[in-house]
Amino acid sequence: MMKKNLLKSSLVNIVISDIDLTPGPFCMSFHFNLEPLKASIEKYGVINPPYLLRNPDNNFLVVAGYARLMAVIELGWHDIACHVLPDSFSLFNALLFNLNDNLIHRQFNSIEKGMILQRLTHFISTEEIVTNFMPILGIPSNKQQLELFLGLDELEERIKISIAIEQLSIRVAGLLRHIDKNDRLKINNLFTSLKWSFNQQWETIQWIKEIASREGCSINKIINSKDINEVLHNTTMNKPQKVKAIVRILKFRRFPSLSKAEKLFIKGVSNLSLPLGVKIIPPPFFEGTDYKLEVTFRKGEDLKEKLANLCNVPELKHIPDFWKGI
Amino acid sequence: MGPMKRFKVRRILIEREAENDSLSKKIIEQLPNIPRERVGSNELALWEDIEEMDKDSLRLIHYKGEFLKPCPGTRRYICCGYQILNVGINCPMDCSYCFLQSYVNQPSLRLFTNLEDKLNVIGEFIDNHPERIFRIGTGEFTDSLALNYITGWTHFLLPFFSSRKNCILELKTKTSFTKDIINSRYKKRIVIAWSLNTSRIIANEEEKTASLKERIISARECQKAGFVVAFHFDPLLYYSGWENEYEEIIQLLERYIDPTSIIWISIGSFRYMPDLKWHILKRFPDTHIFDGEFITGLDGKQRYFKPIRVEMYAKLSERLKKWYDNLGIYFCMESDDVWEQSLGWSPKNSSNLSKYLDNRVRMVMPA
Repeated sequence: MMKKNLLKSSLVNIVISDIDLTPGPFCMSFHFNLEPLKASIEKYGVINPPYLLRNPDNNFLVVAGYARLMAVIELGWHDIACHVLPDSFSLFNALLFNLNDNLIHRQFNSIEKGMILQRLTHFISTEEIVTNFMPILGIPSNKQQLELFLGLDELEERIKISIAIEQLSIRVAGLLRHIDKNDRLKINNLFTSLKWSFNQQWETIQWIKEIASREGCSINKIINSKDINEVLHNTTMNKPQKVKAIVRILKFRRFPSLSKAEKLFIKGVSNLSLPLGVKIIPPPFFEGTDYKLEVTFRKGEDLKEKLANLCNVPELKHIPDFWKGI
Repeated sequence: MGPMKRFKVRRILIEREAENDSLSKKIIEQLPNIPRERVGSNELALWEDIEEMDKDSLRLIHYKGEFLKPCPGTRRYICCGYQILNVGINCPMDCSYCFLQSYVNQPSLRLFTNLEDKLNVIGEFIDNHPERIFRIGTGEFTDSLALNYITGWTHFLLPFFSSRKNCILELKTKTSFTKDIINSRYKKRIVIAWSLNTSRIIANEEEKTASLKERIISARECQKAGFVVAFHFDPLLYYSGWENEYEEIIQLLERYIDPTSIIWISIGSFRYMPDLKWHILKRFPDTHIFDGEFITGLDGKQRYFKPIRVEMYAKLSERLKKWYDNLGIYFCMESDDVWEQSLGWSPKNSSNLSKYLDNRVRMVMPA
């Protein structure tokens, strides 16, 4: 753990061009909004000066305050008062310093969590990261999760932004890593242009991958298929309707036999002229053999009448056969 | 592709408690030039080794659990009442669909070195139930023959089981390593069984295993030597052209195998616990085994949509019956209605399937 006496620093006025402003070894900020910060700085100045470390090239590395520096650059500042940490301050302590500085005043997005974990790998073992740091970041402590977060760094900026603003599920991002660049950008575009729940994204990406594997075609070709394009360009549908329609199209393509069976079953039941409020529910995926009857009623008399009517539907005996012979 | 080669062992890890076991000594004698390390039984394995399964290390373990256990089967489907003789866990071959990838949480080829010393306990149990027939196999958590040239399992298992009238030992394999058993004097009550799949599946999904033809030729040699054989079409995989390719297997069987000394042929379609998929995709990203239409079964496992299973089972079993009508065909972990629709009859429950297979034992291997 970092000791208090290591935090001694000197406040120095630094010319901004002497600071290395590429996201360095301690940076854990991604896709932040500078406007509120700029407004605050304009009004009150930099309340908490950034912390820097002198690096061997005689310029400065940003330890903490990366966003503040970005804000003052946009405001046209030439120089800024910064804390310069002593040369003896280790890189690992600098990383922990910035982590703690951030932890106390904000939440990290998933890309930032990945950046932190990535930077920690330079200093400590996987086991230590899993045990001591993943819980702090609110990530389940296991190596699969660590691998998932570390892998986010390989993704394109556009995809990272989708993850950071929670338009794209991190689980889906894990799968995207193993997909061709153009294909994953296409998927990112599909998922961010409409309003998909994370569960829908998860199911859909698997279907798309599996269709591509089975049919030997590219993911791009599947997403660009005529029927999906028609939905995407349909001006009468809203976004949730479009998502539902695309899910339906892909489900039918991924599970043709099951989808056909479901369709036949629905058609068969609708031809039965069942009393109002009576439903027949097939076993999930038609795997079991037990069907369920659901009757909605208000009073006993109502129930009796519906059951009596039900007994007079002769086609009931065909129920399990509707979907067979697909 | 040349004939199947023996597996390379990189190192032998010997747990302290296993050092004095008879099988440990034999294994070390067999592999005198392989580096050895003494390890503790509680030492944590490396994550990478668990993930990659560390299939080129032998770990010699003094096993503290029960050696003979009923196969757990699966709930809500009909199972066969098999008994597993737990000789070790993990396998030097690398089938993409192998359930061990998510089942095993420890790496290396784990061999239980006190097996021979515990056989008396197993023998006592079997002998105390003369009314039962024990169908026992070693091929559930490992391949029965893949490491036999190192462990010499068959040298003591064959005489042990051969001498008992109320049990059979099934050695299930994907290898052609039958040289060590073919000249054995102990053939009674021993079934040598091969998992069969199409040449395409073997080439793409069953790394380091024997080719289809090698398996069938090995089976023929075992038959000629006097062994009863069995075959397992498991996992059956559905893909475009599956029917013609499974037909090729049956043509090879017709050409090389005497159907009258087959004790049984099992058929089971590919099924998997949902979690296994991610382990598989990590190790075999280009696999095509998930291409089919999988649904969630009554036991929570993913399996092909029922009409697809029925189609495959019906076609395959009909074709097998055309070859010979008394092959003891049975389905592994299937439902009553799938049996009925595919085969025209059903044992209805696990107990009846057990009886059916026990009767096959009585018929093909009379005491």
